[in-house]
Amino acid sequence: MYGSSKINYRLTILVLTAALGAFMILGVAMGAVWIKPGEVLTILYRHWGDPASLVGSLYTHDLIIFTIRLPRVLLAALVGAGLALSGAVFQGLFRNPMADPYVIGVSSGAALGAVTAILAQRMLNLSLTYGVPGFAFILAILTIMVVYRLAKSGGKVPVMTLLLAGIAVNSLLSALVSLCMYYSGSDMHQLVFWLMGGFSGRGWNHLAMFLPYAVLGSLIILVYTRELNAMLIGEEPAQHLGINVEQVKFRLLIAAALLTGACVSVSGLIAFVGLIVPHMVRLISGPDHRVLLPLVVITGAIFMVAADITARVLIAPEELPVGIVTALVGAPFFIYLLKRQKRALF
Amino acid sequence: MLLKLLDVSCSYGAWPVLNGLNFAVGQGEIMGIVGPNGSGKSTLLRAMSRVLPPRQGQVMLQDRDLYKMEARQVASQVAFVAQESGNEFPFTVEDMVMMGRMPHLKRFQREGPRDREAVDKALHLTRSSHLAGRLITELSGGEKQRIIIARALAQEPRVLFLDEPTSFLDINYQIEMMELLNKLRRDQGLTVVMVVHDLNLASHYCDSILILKEGAIYAAGHPARVLSSDLIQEVYGCRVQVEYRSPDARPTIVFNTDRRRFFKENTRSVHIIGGGGSCGRLYNYLTEKGWRVTTGVLNVGDSDWHDAVRLNLKIAETAPFNEIDPASLAYNLKLMQEADYVLLPPIPFGSGNLANLQSLLELARDGCRVIVIDSQAIEDRDYTGGRAAKLYTSLVKYAYCQVASENEALLIIEGEAHDAIQS
Repeated sequence: MYGSSKINYRLTILVLTAALGAFMILGVAMGAVWIKPGEVLTILYRHWGDPASLVGSLYTHDLIIFTIRLPRVLLAALVGAGLALSGAVFQGLFRNPMADPYVIGVSSGAALGAVTAILAQRMLNLSLTYGVPGFAFILAILTIMVVYRLAKSGGKVPVMTLLLAGIAVNSLLSALVSLCMYYSGSDMHQLVFWLMGGFSGRGWNHLAMFLPYAVLGSLIILVYTRELNAMLIGEEPAQHLGINVEQVKFRLLIAAALLTGACVSVSGLIAFVGLIVPHMVRLISGPDHRVLLPLVVITGAIFMVAADITARVLIAPEELPVGIVTALVGAPFFIYLLKRQKRALF
Repeated sequence: MLLKLLDVSCSYGAWPVLNGLNFAVGQGEIMGIVGPNGSGKSTLLRAMSRVLPPRQGQVMLQDRDLYKMEARQVASQVAFVAQESGNEFPFTVEDMVMMGRMPHLKRFQREGPRDREAVDKALHLTRSSHLAGRLITELSGGEKQRIIIARALAQEPRVLFLDEPTSFLDINYQIEMMELLNKLRRDQGLTVVMVVHDLNLASHYCDSILILKEGAIYAAGHPARVLSSDLIQEVYGCRVQVEYRSPDARPTIVFNTDRRRFFKENTRSVHIIGGGGSCGRLYNYLTEKGWRVTTGVLNVGDSDWHDAVRLNLKIAETAPFNEIDPASLAYNLKLMQEADYVLLPPIPFGSGNLANLQSLLELARDGCRVIVIDSQAIEDRDYTGGRAAKLYTSLVKYAYCQVASENEALLIIEGEAHDAIQS
């Protein structure tokens, strides 16, 4: 960073990564059976190094960790990172502090996909492993494509039109979702839970579904960080700096859509993370995306893992949907930060 | 020619804004684009800076079609300074100016010492080095504008486009910025195209001015040749004074604070023989009433001449302290012939303006309506040893009428004008 008076970047990354590690270990340790963090580390080390030595309670714990807890915590971290990252991208693209990953129709599209998948599977008496996530993802992407098409005029896609088209389509699809829920009968509970978002019962197959699209989306985003910076000052000034604005916009939208779609398909609609985490990070890092985005990724992961832990613990042995926790905990914390900081947020 | 526009037409959707523009800008030239609001200046600038593709025609940068070139390639040669933008993120000044280096950096290339050097130089040129660590959200409007200019300069362009760059600057910085552009032009051969509202800035600092009106070029050329009060009246619809401090100076536009409003132009005209220093009142009164007033022959620089110039009257004029030259005499004659009335106030006659009297006599004989105002006896103002008095006495015989005061003369001509309108 060119001679700036920003926070010591390297130190922050280190601290945050360490914090993430700590939270993840805690996440794996917690559950119906409490596994000491030290033991978690031992099991992790030996699982690949010396599997034969895992006997007795160690063996059981290893099983618990590797079939239930580890995939779940990993997924929570990755989804948290993904939602925060795509939230930051949308806020930058739209130059709007209220933008979040769901703003151009991903949420309602995914919801409709999931809802119809759940209902269809019951009505047709099917059971597809990837039924719900798959449908959610496909419909999320389709919705974004429709919104993009709606907003395109004369070869350009003005961000304001995109936002408004997203709002319109969101409303329409949400209505359809509500309609489905009205007629869902006994499935209502399942639908509602999916909509509120959570990580319970998520396994390695969910991770496998999630990773390709999330990684692709994230890589594309990280390639265009400099352009994102320029677009913050306006689309025309960015054009004057030699950036092919419409092309970059399109690619970033696709990338963010893939990323968000992947997140939502495996974890439902977890609100708030994509909106708040970028703001929180921007308060200390400033608007430069080359600093902001990596920090947002790690912070998002920490946030989600912590939220998931809380969701598991608060009403143990039952679980709260993560979305409720993220809002309940995140909002007051953000208000506190807002009050504390001195300079303009956006 | 560095930049050429060939038959360029632009529109926003179906709404046409520019029609078939053709002009060129040479290397090292500072061109000012002026025109009324809505004439298409900003649109033209956007078309020239590769942001608004023309519906028709081509924009050529060094003989290559601008819109066929890659954006980054163009940006490494062409920079644009817009008016201060509204959206503000708390970037530091350095980061903001460093963005100007983007066209020169490859995708994953980090900013190097060369880039830092360009940024430092740009900040130095705009006298904003002391602002380097500050956040742009904390700056005043003028400071922000200088930073935007610095960012454009950090691009190290060959051509700089500016859209009203001085609107937010105080007069000191306005001049400073113009001087900076001049300096860059001298030192680096920078070519500048800017949209300006301030005609005086354009006049004094631009090599050429392009005047746009309703999407077409109304006039183009050196400020001295292009800026005249008639042209400004035609293009902007207001009357101003255009003054030259010396024959080689650039024109200065001056507000005519003494403007008269023309509610209904009376189509009658009156020629006033001036020279006594006392015609100012007559000029004022008649022009206010809507008469087309002409006057002559006046000596350049005397008080009547100043009054007439201020009111934008047609003047037959001659150099001071000389005999009236034949050209002005002829012109005076012409003006008198064209006028409905000629007024002769009680001016003194010397050898210098005796010729005036002679031509007047001839015209009166031919039927021209000469009104002689005789409030002071001719003998008291005859400095030609009687010659003027003789001509004067003859004139009175052929005059349309002879009155004893200005007011009477005015009553007569106004009365007749009024009758004419009534009938």
